[in-house]
Amino acid sequence: MASASGSLPRYIVQRVLMIIPMVWVLITMVFILLRVAPGDPVSAAVGDKLSDEALDARRATLGLDRPILTQYFDYLGSVARFDFGKTISDNQPITDVIKNNGGATLSLTVGAILIALVVGIPLGLLAGRRRDTGTDAVIRVFGIVSYAAPVFWVGLMLRHLVAPTGWPTYEIASPITKFEIEPVTHILIVDTLLAGNTTAFLDVLQHHVMPCVVLGLLLAGVLIRLVRVNVLQTLQDDYVEAARARGIPERYVVRRHAFRNALVPVITVIGLQIALTLGGAVLTEATFSWPGLGGKLIEYLIARDYAGVQGIITFFAIFVVLISLLVDIINALVDPRVRY
Amino acid sequence: MQRKKLLAIGATAVLIGSLAACGGGDSDKGGKSGADGNDWILGTTESVTSMDPAGSYDFGSWNMQYNIFEQLMEIPAGESEPKPQAADCAYDDPKTITCTLEEGHKFSNGNDLTSSDVMFSLERNIKIANPNGSSVLLGQLSNGDEKSPALADGAIETPDDTTVVFHLNQPDTTFLKLLSTATTSIVDEETFPADDLLGDSEVIGSGPYTLAKYTPGEQATLVANDTYKGPHEPSSPKIYVQYLSDPSVLKTAVENGEVDVAWRTLSPTDLNDLEEGGKVDVVKGEGSEFRYWVWQLGTEVGKDQAIRQAVAQLMDREVIAQDAYDGTVTPSYSIVPPGFGGQKDSFEEKYGEPSVDAAKKILDDAGVKTPVDITLGYTPTHYGPNAVDEATELASQLDESGLFKTKTEDAEWEEYQTLYKENAYDLFILGWYPDILDADNYLTPFVRDGGFYANGYSNDKVNSLLDEELAETDTAARDDLIGQIQDIVAEDVPLIPSWNGKNVAVASKKMEGVADTLDPTYIFRFWDTTNTD
Amino acid sequence: MFGRLLTPFRQTTGMARWILLTGLLITLAYVVLALFAPWIAPFDFNQRSVDGVKFDKLSAPSGTHWFGVNDQFYDVLSRCIWGARTGLHVVTLSVVFSLVVGVPLGVISGFIGGWLDRVLVFVMDALYAFPSLLLAIVFAFLLRGPLGGGVMAAALSLTVIYIPQYYRVVRNTTVSAREATYVEAARAIGAKNGTIMRRYLFGNVIQSVPVIGTLNAADAMGTLAALGFLGLGIQPNEAAEWGYDLSRALDDPSGVWWTGLYPGMAIVLLITGLTLIGEGLNETINPTLRKRRLRKVVLPPQDVATAMVEENR
Repeated sequence: MASASGSLPRYIVQRVLMIIPMVWVLITMVFILLRVAPGDPVSAAVGDKLSDEALDARRATLGLDRPILTQYFDYLGSVARFDFGKTISDNQPITDVIKNNGGATLSLTVGAILIALVVGIPLGLLAGRRRDTGTDAVIRVFGIVSYAAPVFWVGLMLRHLVAPTGWPTYEIASPITKFEIEPVTHILIVDTLLAGNTTAFLDVLQHHVMPCVVLGLLLAGVLIRLVRVNVLQTLQDDYVEAARARGIPERYVVRRHAFRNALVPVITVIGLQIALTLGGAVLTEATFSWPGLGGKLIEYLIARDYAGVQGIITFFAIFVVLISLLVDIINALVDPRVRY
Repeated sequence: MQRKKLLAIGATAVLIGSLAACGGGDSDKGGKSGADGNDWILGTTESVTSMDPAGSYDFGSWNMQYNIFEQLMEIPAGESEPKPQAADCAYDDPKTITCTLEEGHKFSNGNDLTSSDVMFSLERNIKIANPNGSSVLLGQLSNGDEKSPALADGAIETPDDTTVVFHLNQPDTTFLKLLSTATTSIVDEETFPADDLLGDSEVIGSGPYTLAKYTPGEQATLVANDTYKGPHEPSSPKIYVQYLSDPSVLKTAVENGEVDVAWRTLSPTDLNDLEEGGKVDVVKGEGSEFRYWVWQLGTEVGKDQAIRQAVAQLMDREVIAQDAYDGTVTPSYSIVPPGFGGQKDSFEEKYGEPSVDAAKKILDDAGVKTPVDITLGYTPTHYGPNAVDEATELASQLDESGLFKTKTEDAEWEEYQTLYKENAYDLFILGWYPDILDADNYLTPFVRDGGFYANGYSNDKVNSLLDEELAETDTAARDDLIGQIQDIVAEDVPLIPSWNGKNVAVASKKMEGVADTLDPTYIFRFWDTTNTD
Repeated sequence: MFGRLLTPFRQTTGMARWILLTGLLITLAYVVLALFAPWIAPFDFNQRSVDGVKFDKLSAPSGTHWFGVNDQFYDVLSRCIWGARTGLHVVTLSVVFSLVVGVPLGVISGFIGGWLDRVLVFVMDALYAFPSLLLAIVFAFLLRGPLGGGVMAAALSLTVIYIPQYYRVVRNTTVSAREATYVEAARAIGAKNGTIMRRYLFGNVIQSVPVIGTLNAADAMGTLAALGFLGLGIQPNEAAEWGYDLSRALDDPSGVWWTGLYPGMAIVLLITGLTLIGEGLNETINPTLRKRRLRKVVLPPQDVATAMVEENR
């Protein structure tokens, strides 16, 4: 343990530094694509209102008539100073956009991951344990189907079932809740708790159920498969075999050795799946009109809002890298065999 | 499951209770004395680009500004001619307007509203020239320099605190109407920066309401303005605006009573569904939205007047309105919508009922060989998901006549704009909302030298009629000129009108005054709308 | 080389074989639907009327329209069948494109190494780490313009996100194979770099392709539907696309379930079929998932017996 932690800080520093080139590649790519693609923020907004000359004048005020390299280095320079600027289409600082909408995405993904764990782990363990039986087959099919079913379709079908009961199937809260709650953490469900407002909390909680279940099922599909495979592999590991050879009852072997070791990689898996989760979150947000960052990204893409798109992509990139870093650190702390 | 459901119902009941309680409590300490109604919530899918009048050119922002700021003039609900608001303005001649400010108007921070605030507001709007802004509408006052736009020398004079004189660089009889739009909203020169936009939640105005709280893309809270001196009485002390991203959410919200009024924009299916449900009122007013098909005169097909006329003859607007929009729009037979001075249904007069025989005769007389190959263009998302349905419907009408063989093509909005200028389509669809409520706003941008979409149409007679119409101060004479232009358009067919949108809101039964504000200005007059609950 | 591609199919046993067979059957059914759509589907994918009489908008399933009619006057059953054609078309194109680019790139990068390798690894890792759906959305938006939307734009935006996956697998296999004895031997007898890559490495690496290929195809199908759902895919009058139909179904009034249920089922079943193929193959190829029958230790009977029976099935 001590020896591992000795080199860990250096590793963390290295990994954090790796964020810079990775983000650079992504924002360069997005920068180029946005400029190569037809249209710009001006034509997107008022292209069916104004003549070409008037559109050009507006481009000039935005500095879009400057050479593309000048714009690029200008942009890199401001990103290096952590100045992401303001969105073009609705004049909001990028940091505000991320603050205001990031909370909704966060609570959605956290809720979904929780549901995925609750559903995915027991089913995965069971399937692995009962390999090649009917139970295994049923669970595997369930896993595959819940991964195969598009979140927007599951959402749509669930809504047809649930909407007549009056259970909320859209948005993160009723309008009145939003008017009542002052944003503190910008994570609405936390803010309702901080405000001590139980009705508001229940309202927000109810709104979370459908989207979290739908996204959670998608993740559960992945999790079932991975946990099952892990169980299969550990059941064949030498130390499990050895335990068996010592005459330890199979049930005990499975529970004490196989399950525990099969679950360690789950942390890694969840970390790796964060990308999938964010992707799924975009669709879930679109299906449930969830006021998150994914929806914003699509909005800004439609508006060709260069600053908005670049800002959100950069944030996502940093977020993904940080999560995978976190996973590595946890792994290093949990598993003494991991050295850096 | 059963228990959860009960919990849901319980929670909803508590919420409604708390909402009612909150409404009652606030009305006691309401802003202006007249504000004795209850709070209410407006839900909308429009978004706000900027609360600052210099940074916006869209419904969502303008509508907030009509309620937060004052303009010199205003168009009262259901009327079409401007009336005094902060000032009384009149033409000295078609190039000169003098306004006299009413005494005693103050901004909500206590500062006086003077003539120099008026000049400051317009000057900064032109100077900032924000890409999302509407400074382009102030061309008559601008120096015309695209690199560094500014107020033209001497365009605005302020001889004293209550007098403003405008000197236009060309005759414009629509300028009074312009002075009633949100782009000319009067801002406080001591609060707003002269060369940059003010942060959304910091805006200060002199209108009937002040912006108490604003979360971008989420919601805004308006409170009746104590210092307001204008012609209206805010009837509710507090109004909430809830911004929603999706029409289906708006529909559910108004159906469940989570918002009291849903205004702009519900889908045709949703509106019909709500109307049948009967739980809420679907209120329809006259609208000024305009959807039309433009001919590209640069293509072989588009340059042939007989072909253009034949399509105008064939197009069945009733069926388009019914099948593509579930009857929520009104078929349009002129490029100027009904209700505007000088409007006449020129296309109906010229072509009458859709007729294959008549269209065949037009083509035969001109010696055009049928079937004619024609390419229709549309854009799938910019004008909502029903645009494809309209294109499909028009295409099948043309095909079924046997006179045309259509090809339908689409491109995303960005590419679409380039493509239609590059002659990719013979006939393509576009949409329009007016900036000012004047027939000219449907004429000059469309038919003067190819219009803003540069379709290659040009007619000297039309151009001179436009000049005359803009300089004509006599209403009857002007209406006649405008009528003549519409007749020429029906003959030349540079574009074919398709339909006009209505101004539709869905309101709970306890709301009053919603129907009155639904007019072609698309201003939602919060002050006139009351929650009687 | 073709024989090697098929090896994993022959080696399957037991449950893996059943999974594989089921998957193949489902997928085959879709291929048949796709190829013979004009003969199987009752109507054309963009047909809205018969003999000048329009279908009854949003009418429920009936004798003439088994799956009902949607809000665009289209027959839902026909759209479901024609959708198979669109889906398989796009997915096949994207898998082929990403193979054609990803595999050679991986072999070259892994074999030659040096700065080229480092730069490629770096760029691909950046692409790979980023949420693939978001990437596909960005690309779809930007490609829709220049390519005018449609099948090609959809296929290319999927290609971009799958190239890194092939590249990574192939490159890593190549790096480890590069030092293998048979490659050393080939080099010793004077084989040129090109020959080694073509003859030895490529053939070796290609074995893992069917697994990634089918799993990617499943994933691509889901992403295509997602793009269609977000309005970035294929227009309804160009081809039938399930995702687009679902996006329209989202706005239908409550009680109209048939416009959403069937296209969704079509998606789920096809993805399931493709995934089953991939899973079946994976179980066969991946040695860590094989049972080690020979090394079973015989244990005292008692309460372990039942567990053992299960284990041996």
